[in-house]
Amino acid sequence: MPAVAPDVRVHEARVHLNRPCGDDAFVLGVTLPEEMAPLRAGRFFMLRRKDELSPEIPRPFSVYRQTGPRELEFLVKIHGRGTRALHQSRAGDVLVTIGPLGLGWPDWQANAGPKWFVAGGIGSAPFMMGIEQAIAAGVPADQITYVYGGRTKGFLYDLDLFTDLGVRVIAATDDGSAGFHGNVVQACEHLIESEGKPERVQVFTCGPDPMMKAVVAFADRQGFESWVSLETYMGCGVGICNGCAVGTTPEGQLADWPVAKCCTDGPVFRASDIRF
Amino acid sequence: MADLSIELAGLRLANPLLSASGTFGHGVEMTPLVSFESLGGWVSKTVTAQPRAGNAMPRIHETAAGFLNSIGLENKGIDHYQEATLPSVLAERARHPHTIVVTNLGGHTAEEFAQLAQRLDEVEGIDAFEINLSCPNVDGGKLPYSTDPARAEEVMAGVRRVTQKPLFAKVSPNVTRVDEIAKGCEAGGADAITACNTLLGMAVDWRRGRPRLATGAGGYSGAGVMPVALRCAWQCAQAVAIPIIGCGGIRSAEDVMEFVAVGCAAVQVGTASFSDPSCLARMGQELSDLLDREGGRPLSEWVGTLEVPPQTPWRQTQERQTPGC
Ligand SMILES: Cc1cc2nc3c(=O)[nH]c(=O)nc-3n(C[C@H](O)[C@H](O)[C@H](O)COP(=O)(O)OP(=O)(O)OC[C@H]3O[C@@H](n4cnc5c(N)ncnc54)[C@H](O)[C@@H]3O)c2cc1C
Ligand SMILES: Cc1cc2nc3c(=O)[nH]c(=O)nc-3n(C[C@H](O)[C@H](O)[C@H](O)COP(=O)(O)O)c2cc1C
Ligand code: FES
Repeated sequence: MPAVAPDVRVHEARVHLNRPCGDDAFVLGVTLPEEMAPLRAGRFFMLRRKDELSPEIPRPFSVYRQTGPRELEFLVKIHGRGTRALHQSRAGDVLVTIGPLGLGWPDWQANAGPKWFVAGGIGSAPFMMGIEQAIAAGVPADQITYVYGGRTKGFLYDLDLFTDLGVRVIAATDDGSAGFHGNVVQACEHLIESEGKPERVQVFTCGPDPMMKAVVAFADRQGFESWVSLETYMGCGVGICNGCAVGTTPEGQLADWPVAKCCTDGPVFRASDIRF
Repeated sequence: MADLSIELAGLRLANPLLSASGTFGHGVEMTPLVSFESLGGWVSKTVTAQPRAGNAMPRIHETAAGFLNSIGLENKGIDHYQEATLPSVLAERARHPHTIVVTNLGGHTAEEFAQLAQRLDEVEGIDAFEINLSCPNVDGGKLPYSTDPARAEEVMAGVRRVTQKPLFAKVSPNVTRVDEIAKGCEAGGADAITACNTLLGMAVDWRRGRPRLATGAGGYSGAGVMPVALRCAWQCAQAVAIPIIGCGGIRSAEDVMEFVAVGCAAVQVGTASFSDPSCLARMGQELSDLLDREGGRPLSEWVGTLEVPPQTPWRQTQERQTPGC
């Protein structure tokens, strides 16, 4: 079983920002007590409030942005007990943070062809830094396409900030309230129909499971490589509870055991390595 | 500074805090957050003869006051444990001799338990075996060895025959008379009782008509189970002469002392490590500060200090004369 990433820390961090975002999310800015090395996009933290408002078990959230050596932002969709408690946070409130955790996106290869980042709703969280880091690693901005889908306009969180990254952004909504009228897979298929099929594309996706499955199936049909960032239930986030099992494929890199741990072997996986 | 060291089944431990099986990884994963030496003892995830991939997802669910799991003893089996996991654990153990290494064993039959213990009997550095009589997530939750004192005794006696190492018997709270089970374990040769494993529990998503755990029911742990676990530990302590290791819902030094007061020589901490994976490192310090504030007596002097005063009966009610009779 792989060891925990050695830089994991448990901190008490202070909230410095709680900005509403879209119809049902917010951006939580926290200041850690000590500096951290630049984080790889796609890694995550377990978060809870230090007081009794939060449930005992912390919840996992991708790092949305690293805005300073001690400052992190998380994009959080209000869902149940844990996220509602976090939503109560005001500047100065104390959170317990466990992280950074997980493996994050793979190394960005500048000359591996165009990259399509396909997000659904809150699945956009690991892409903000992912796109920034891909550009910093030398991937030309015009080789990056960000396909961002949601049921309706209000679920395309911070769409303008993604546009500001200078990459091509294709918004898609089920109800047609913004951008392409249809889902992200239809938007990807439309791209190929209108522009022709590139020889090679690397596809990275994060969002609800059915959406990711459809995106991976699309990539497979086109012969594109794909990676997914999974949101499994997590108990500990650090590899000690075996609660976050993901089935592995017999031919993939994780084939030596029928299940992988999403928290330490992922949350980003090469799609061909897992069954989800 | 109050002395936290304890003696447990002939072993010397730096403090009474052990990790609970299955909540602290399989090997030394946690040493970046909890140094080995800050533990009184390290307890492995249950090791079984054959590899087990574990149960389907979802395997975990948090409830209002606790935590449900149905991991299903996922582990790579004894060969892998011995070859890949143990060496790094034993290397830590060699550097920190006052942290004991406990291998928790799980079997389907009494023979299987004994075979596992025999396999590891000669491994120097394994200080004790914990015999998991009580996993609710296998054998359909029937708990064959922790609901019948005779069968608990049979398993312990079988293991006792093949090893001289201290044996901890981990019992289940899912019985009416846990003290009877503890007696069975003691008769079979157990050197300590771990009280206890998880309660059976469940949660449902009634809108979807689905259980929250893929298996339906699972093991319930965390804050909500502490009163039950404490009662079990107390009943065991009264029933047997061997030491009790309390386990269930412990989150703070205060909680540890409740278990100590009812007669526990040591404790195990599980679910609390999910809220804060560094909690076991912190708890030792908190315990020592707490005892200092209480006058600095060594921890061992607090063991079993609970006295339940005899009850003074209320005055008897006068039998009312029913008029006319
Ligand atoms: C690696 C990772 C990164 C994530 N990043 C983000 C992010 O950046 N922004 C964001 O808003 N959400 C993110 N999520 C999902 C987020 O963790 C859940 O929405 C959150 O746990 C829900 O908690 P709750 O108490 O509000 O909901 P409840 O439904 O009350 O939670 C009950 C249980 O279900 C679990 N749970 C419910 N939904 C999910 C889910 N979708 N994924 C995982 N666990 C779930 C909870 O952890 C908890 O154990 C991420 C999940 C993972 C695994
Ligand atoms: C996720 C999880 C996995 C567990 N796995 C095991 C196990 O493999 N073997 C075992 O003997 N107990 C196992 N347990 C039970 C714990 O060791 C402990 O007895 C129980 O959780 C009560 O303590 P707690 O409330 O401090 O967690 C597990 C508990 C949890 C929550
Ligand atoms: S969440 Fe506990 S092992 Fe992954």
